[in-house]
Amino acid sequence: MLCVLTVLCWSWAVLGYGYGLQKDSSRAGLCPSPCQCEEDGIFVLADCSELGLTAVPANLSHLTTYLRISGNQLRYISGLALHGLHNLKVLMLQNNQLERLPNDIPWNLPNLLSLRLDANLLSEVPARSLGGLRSLRHLWLDDNSLTEIPVSALDSLPALQAMTLALNHITHIPDHAFSNLSSLVVLHLHNNQIQTMGERCFQGLLSLETLDLNYNNLPEFPTAIRTLAKLQELGFHNNNIRAIPERAFMGNRQLQTIHFYENPIQSVGRSAFQFLPKLHTLSLNGATQIRDFPDLKGTTSLETLELSHNQIEDLPSFYHCSALQEIGLQYNNIRRIERNTFQQLSSLRSLVFIIILYITEIPPSLYRDLSENSLTSLPVGGLGGLTHLKLKGNMELYEDFSPELFTRMRVVEMPYAYQCCVYGSCDSYKSISQLETEQSSEEEELDQRTVALYPIHTDTLYDPDLEDLQMELQESKLQTNIQCSPVPGPFRPCDSL
Amino acid sequence: IPGVSSGCQGGCLTCSDYNGCLSCKPRLFIFLERNGMRQIGVCLPSCPSGFYGTRSPDRNTCTKCRPECDSCFNKNLCMRCRAGYYLHLGKCQESCPESLVCSDTQRECVPKCPV
Repeated sequence: MLCVLTVLCWSWAVLGYGYGLQKDSSRAGLCPSPCQCEEDGIFVLADCSELGLTAVPANLSHLTTYLRISGNQLRYISGLALHGLHNLKVLMLQNNQLERLPNDIPWNLPNLLSLRLDANLLSEVPARSLGGLRSLRHLWLDDNSLTEIPVSALDSLPALQAMTLALNHITHIPDHAFSNLSSLVVLHLHNNQIQTMGERCFQGLLSLETLDLNYNNLPEFPTAIRTLAKLQELGFHNNNIRAIPERAFMGNRQLQTIHFYENPIQSVGRSAFQFLPKLHTLSLNGATQIRDFPDLKGTTSLETLELSHNQIEDLPSFYHCSALQEIGLQYNNIRRIERNTFQQLSSLRSLVFIIILYITEIPPSLYRDLSENSLTSLPVGGLGGLTHLKLKGNMELYEDFSPELFTRMRVVEMPYAYQCCVYGSCDSYKSISQLETEQSSEEEELDQRTVALYPIHTDTLYDPDLEDLQMELQESKLQTNIQCSPVPGPFRPCDSL
Repeated sequence: IPGVSSGCQGGCLTCSDYNGCLSCKPRLFIFLERNGMRQIGVCLPSCPSGFYGTRSPDRNTCTKCRPECDSCFNKNLCMRCRAGYYLHLGKCQESCPESLVCSDTQRECVPKCPV
């Protein structure tokens, strides 16, 4: 009953009060100069950004729910400066020159949800400075001068869901650094100088789904991630990690993407990527000492597997990897391919397989892109679903492959130009310049079709992302003609010499 | 560089007559504003609503939130949903879990009123 009454009173207040407000939108006291304000029912959205301010404007209305003071010259904001703003939900202080936060009388903003402190000059976050923000969900502290994780200050933010400490000078993550942040879903720590981490530094992060450790100085694999049972996206690319241990992700069954390129990875435990049923992308290129193919037991949703530039010699059967669409195995030492190696891969679209050493035994059902090899023939049984076929460099392969064999083919690389004639009209020789003009007119036609399909009206809110649009059109355009190279021409005739 | 002038307004570091800002002064975000068929680069202290900012040492960029999200922290965590969706633990859903109710004003899943 009490709840119904409260709602009734509240709505009367909103309607009555709000109506009164809207009639007179410039009520004194609601919007301090030189800010600009908007009304949101009885509440006020105040924009005091980029006004050269050196202090928070006085007499802000207690009904302010959104306050933007970004892009000014504020150096310090005392607890009293924001006194009484109990309705404040969003406070934007980025791009100022804040050097410190109030510790003696912290800001008392019990309903604040989002606090932007990024792009300031903070070198520390005192223990009690965030004590009055118990409802805070989103905290930006990136692009400051912090040298350590503000562990004590973070203890008073039980409702925090997302935080970035990126672009600071943090070198170490201590044990229990985030122990009270059980609701944290996203944690960005990229672009710091993190070298060491406590084994239990991520304990308490029961809801963490995204962890970004990219661009740090980690010398070893961050085994501390084992406690992150809900982790879905993990990044530690651009670090100094040399090995990925056995069962590296055994505590992270929900992982979908792992980014760790640009690390001097030399060895990978064979069981490192086991039991990751949601992992859809795995790229392990350039790990110079990988000889054995990683055992992917229990990792059944892989769509992209990139293993180029290693020293793999043998391939297992990909029997359980039916979701695989793309495999990159170029520049390895693969000597033999079993008949059933790729048997079950019904959704495989692209297999890139440039092998430096020559394959001697080629079972009849060998597959796709075998550039730089000594193939003399290519059994094409079962390749109907291929979209990419790369045979560049197989100088002993003279056969051409009729398009009917590859109904979904889009990109073909052949040893000789004449082998591309079956994919396009070769009746008249086109000079290179003709081909280039044809190419550029095609691009213009593509742009016009972009416009025709999606006429952009400035007044409508429909605002398609141009890149996605052109990608889609590029894809649909490709399906109609196959890109085959090298392109035949006057000096690369269509008859086999 | 031909066509690129450095006498630019606002937060631009380099700009061109045709494309507006090509790079921004430190700590500002470059955002591609639509103008008919053209995209004009502008430099902002934070990304506009419907986009989230990602800072990096050499370039701060704006990226679109998911379609059902009006304002987000990153592509996986929404802060305010579009009308018709309700925020729960950073995700926009069309309905709320059992123990919560959908608040249209806040566009969130909120605790039921105690009876």
